[in-house]
Amino acid sequence: MSAAGMRCPACGSTNIVDDDLYSQAQLVCVDCGSVVSEGVLANDPVGGSDVSFSRTTAVAKRPCANLIKGQQRVKAICRILMVNREIEDLSQTHYKMAYEHKAFLKVSLQKKDILTGCCVLVSCRQLNWPITVGTISCLLDADSMVVGAIYQEMVKNLSIEAPIINVTDVIEAHCHEYKISSLDVPEELAENSRDLTKRAVALVELAADSWIVTGRKPIPIMMAATYLAWQSLKPNKHRLKFSLDKFCQVAKVKKLKSAMTRVAEIKEVLCKLGKEIPWVRETVTPDNVIQLVECILQNRYALLRRAMRTHEDALLEESQASCAEAPPESSSQISECADQTPITSFVKQNGSNSDGKEKPGDVDYNPRVLPEHSGTQESQNPPQNWGKRVLFAPPCVIHAKKRRAEQPEHTDVTGDEEISDSEIDSYIRTPQEARDFALMQQMLSLSDSAKS
Amino acid sequence: MDSSNDEALDIIITNVVATFRTRCHLNLRTIALEGTNVIYKPEVGKVLMKLRKPMITASIWSSGKIICTGATSEDEAKLGARRLARCLQKLGFKVRFSAFKVVNVLAVCSMPFAVHLIDFTKNNRPIASYEPELHPAATYRIKNLKATIQVFSTGSLTVTGPNVQNVATAVEQVYPLLFECQKPLCK
Repeated sequence: MSAAGMRCPACGSTNIVDDDLYSQAQLVCVDCGSVVSEGVLANDPVGGSDVSFSRTTAVAKRPCANLIKGQQRVKAICRILMVNREIEDLSQTHYKMAYEHKAFLKVSLQKKDILTGCCVLVSCRQLNWPITVGTISCLLDADSMVVGAIYQEMVKNLSIEAPIINVTDVIEAHCHEYKISSLDVPEELAENSRDLTKRAVALVELAADSWIVTGRKPIPIMMAATYLAWQSLKPNKHRLKFSLDKFCQVAKVKKLKSAMTRVAEIKEVLCKLGKEIPWVRETVTPDNVIQLVECILQNRYALLRRAMRTHEDALLEESQASCAEAPPESSSQISECADQTPITSFVKQNGSNSDGKEKPGDVDYNPRVLPEHSGTQESQNPPQNWGKRVLFAPPCVIHAKKRRAEQPEHTDVTGDEEISDSEIDSYIRTPQEARDFALMQQMLSLSDSAKS
Repeated sequence: MDSSNDEALDIIITNVVATFRTRCHLNLRTIALEGTNVIYKPEVGKVLMKLRKPMITASIWSSGKIICTGATSEDEAKLGARRLARCLQKLGFKVRFSAFKVVNVLAVCSMPFAVHLIDFTKNNRPIASYEPELHPAATYRIKNLKATIQVFSTGSLTVTGPNVQNVATAVEQVYPLLFECQKPLCK
């Protein structure tokens, strides 16, 4: 704006001049000195400039520092495990993908650290290099459950399909950990690592065939197999007296509690097979079965078949004998049913399972909600019985825990019934009770504060 | 479906979780004072109220949202929820029973045979996953039913799903897959 034709708003004079203050244009009234108008200080475009500050000062994009550290960690883990080049490269690829995946971008550093181990684990599994979750958690010094959770999350997010580990693959690596060669221990306790591994692998395969491996943690089984293999390679009195504890001490390996149970289970299976050996005269017990282990393992498939056949023959005889007896006991077991509501799908029952069911229909695969008094009791028996009928089954089926039969609480519930007042009143305190309660709480809190 | 089975397959519901709203603010201290069978947890901000029949535990928040757990059928859950609402009404709150929804159903089932978990997982990847070092059961997730089945090597199953019908359907779906993974022992 020009200075001419303007009036000063303060004094009304027209004597206005251009008097710039440094770089700011200003119109000033000469008489009173007030600033009539002033220009902008800087000539930036409206709303900020087009180019952002970070862009003007940016250099080429660098990978995040934690990503680099993580990749170095992956390399370190691979080197410690002495895996081959392919696995190392694959782990690096996986780590990079996982790190930049949105599910893992903002997680804690500890989680990212565990992620390094999980990448190595998944690559090893994909390329058939057997290592266990336990090994990785040892290396990372983390809880195996946490490692497992992150591993599963990673596999889901990156959609990787990794084969499951087989115990027989891992056992070789496991056996190498045991310091039981002739360099470490006296001659009578020493064992060649190759023989030990071979025997242990055979034992583990036998355990897998007889339901000891499925569903269990692999390491206690491997420990039990190694111990029994060591004992059976030279089954003299000295070795047989060695307990699992002592063996682990000698071999400088940390003993696991559940390995004892596995030892007992494997011995039970060995006894069952040892009975089938034709030239063994004495009864086979867990104490004297170790001497027979070599023989059993060499012929294990034949012995398994024999055992199954003998068992089937025994069952057949039993069922024939029981059929010849009185008619099957009826289910006076309706007296107690569980208080849980069963949805029974099939209705065609075995001969002895007649009960109070209202619709003894034919084979029909529609699930139906049956009234409470259905015989849950006797339908629990077949599942328990099948464990006793079979020669080899998961140990907790063979030694099934007895379940308490629970009392029935009520029958049909529709959800829309009437609720009586008296019922509800049982849940409410009377005013006197409420006052007493409040008083007591006060007294308790007073005594608490007096104490502290 | 496979109709050659002639034994009943019992699916036993062990827990039903349901939620509902009372549409009014609830004073937790009043409930704690005047209700029996009540546990007040001020650090979390809720009250636990237990009913005797049906055997149900309810978590009550002051906003009026209530979660009921412990029922053994959907109808029982509804009955328990209504009882609870009546109880709160009697305590003096203007309760309106609304938005009742069964959120989760937990059921167990037992197969009369053992299941070889490694074979089962191999046949059904990636729907099934099994990590023996972490958990003894194989997990099978059915996406369209939103059901999760945990299969144990003894043949026991634990099924969780949003309602009873889904749970039953899930068991039906998984049964043939389990049946073919019974391990043959004779080589």
